[in-house]
Amino acid sequence: MENDMNEMDQILEDVRQGWIPSHIYSDAAIFDEEQKRIFSRTWQFMGHVSEVPNDGDYVVRNLLEDSFIVVRGNDTKVRVLLNLCRHRGGKVCRNESGNAQKFVCPYHAWAFKTDGSLAGVPYHQEAYGGTEGLNKKEFGLYRPPHMEIFNGLIFINLDPDAEPLESYLGDFASYLSFYVPDVPGGVEVRGPQRWRFNANWKIGSENFSGDTYHTPQTHASMGAIKLVSSAATSNRKAGVMFAAGRGNGATFRLGDGPGSFEERLGNNGFPKEQIERMRAAWPPEIVALLQQDGLLPSASTLFPNMSLLHISAKIDENDEFAPFTTIRLWMPISATETEMWSWFVVDKAASEEFKRKSYKAYIMCFGTSGMFEQDDIDAWVTLTKMTQGYVSSAVHLHSRMGMNQDGSPLNEPLEEYSGQGTAHIGFNEYNQRRWLNFWAEHLEMDPPAHPIRSGAE
Amino acid sequence: MMTDNTLENMLDFDHPAHLRAHKFLVEESYVLDRRDFDTWLAMMADDITYRIPVTSTLGTNPHKAGEMDHMFEDRYSLGKRIERLKSKYAWTESPPSRTRHLVSNVACFSTDNDAETRVMSALMVYRTQGADQGPDLICGMREDILRNQAGQMRLAARTVTLDQSVLQTQNLAIFL
Repeated sequence: MENDMNEMDQILEDVRQGWIPSHIYSDAAIFDEEQKRIFSRTWQFMGHVSEVPNDGDYVVRNLLEDSFIVVRGNDTKVRVLLNLCRHRGGKVCRNESGNAQKFVCPYHAWAFKTDGSLAGVPYHQEAYGGTEGLNKKEFGLYRPPHMEIFNGLIFINLDPDAEPLESYLGDFASYLSFYVPDVPGGVEVRGPQRWRFNANWKIGSENFSGDTYHTPQTHASMGAIKLVSSAATSNRKAGVMFAAGRGNGATFRLGDGPGSFEERLGNNGFPKEQIERMRAAWPPEIVALLQQDGLLPSASTLFPNMSLLHISAKIDENDEFAPFTTIRLWMPISATETEMWSWFVVDKAASEEFKRKSYKAYIMCFGTSGMFEQDDIDAWVTLTKMTQGYVSSAVHLHSRMGMNQDGSPLNEPLEEYSGQGTAHIGFNEYNQRRWLNFWAEHLEMDPPAHPIRSGAE
Repeated sequence: MMTDNTLENMLDFDHPAHLRAHKFLVEESYVLDRRDFDTWLAMMADDITYRIPVTSTLGTNPHKAGEMDHMFEDRYSLGKRIERLKSKYAWTESPPSRTRHLVSNVACFSTDNDAETRVMSALMVYRTQGADQGPDLICGMREDILRNQAGQMRLAARTVTLDQSVLQTQNLAIFL
């Protein structure tokens, strides 16, 4: 479609009212704007420090079409390097992970150290006239203008003028520290599983922001085979949705009002030693959320495309529960295709038995073969396909739950809520609209300065 | 002592263990493609371990942090998956996948257990759904342990090594 500014203004106005022009989920012109205005200025998750435990360990990660190497240098520092040879643009690392002392371009053998510096240029003296002609110091691998680490999670930002990660996260940091707790020794991750499906990247991001309304229907099979408790399926309406910083998320109802922290976690498969470690590691407001309000975070999204999830499932015939946590990226390939990167996260110091049970629960529920995830993605693939029709692409989809006809809120945020940010109880789409408002805000802003064209180092 | 999976140790194609294994694999494809999952589950040993590790491009100097699986199953979880597929709510399999499990290049090796045979085979699964889903192709190598339980063949272990590191099918709601 033609996307002149008036059309874009109208799209954003509609979205803000909870009326979503369906083509935003499949329109290549919209995706083009998203690349230039959203992924270029938001903090993007690259991986976890436990994926590169030793000097020289690296993993290769994509941000849209750009390839980055996340590598631990010989000075033990983790860096993120653009995987592009400064000579003729070769891909200097073609593996997904490994250990290296140098990255040597297969094309003309320029060699880069794990700190990104250019160490070797064949025939440097004869062909280039030595340092006079080519100063190797000026031709290291590019680095994104910003990299920051939060509880071991490695983020980059391509905008030279980006706000610091801490202020970007805002109050969502509290919830991020629930999923990825600051435990002594840290967490470890397994994965990622990577797979592609024909759905727009926004749908999963929105869903994880607070769509508990889909659970009783989309995931009816989970209740039918008794894989999870009613808090995770039929009783999702009793949960609370929170909005904090650049993140939004949902909670499970594990009890009414004050109750025992130990008992509530114990019922969800936390062994005694994990209960104590989580009590010490989680932010006090997360402990209070469970103890005072009977709530535990379930799914969340950090704008734009990083989601997190915590849930418990039955892992054997004896009805034993085990909890698990996953981090995932909805990485767009195009307007109509997404590559999912999904990691499993666990406390590194947990017992091998707990790790095994938690991993088992993850594989059963989420990821490529996950019995929850299968039905989610199926719905989103169908939706994406549907929005491409000549007629269907012009339909305004309804995202006004919790909104009166005149646009005023149907109900107010909770007055008493122990967690960070604001919260609404029951089914609503406040969070999805909040996510879409971030989206609209970004599409209205001019694209940020380019990390290389603007001359930033 | 475990025999190596080298050509010299491969059982002849008219070896009774090879014939039993080949028959088992054909029968298995037959029931999977007919979506007769109860019969399929009955072909699994009680202590089945069924694994599909994530294939990753590791290069010559790999480091092994964070190994991951697409599936990591025992009899209980395979049973739950089948129970789910038989419920009315497995939306992703509505309409059900049409699959064709093509198994070829069957190579059998004896093990240190007389009742068990190691079976390597090439797998190609063609998958479509409804009128406009797919076709997806999922290819890999199966490494199975087949156990002769008093004349009944049972699958005791399976590892499917996929050829794709980024899976190009929207989920694994099917069995490989």
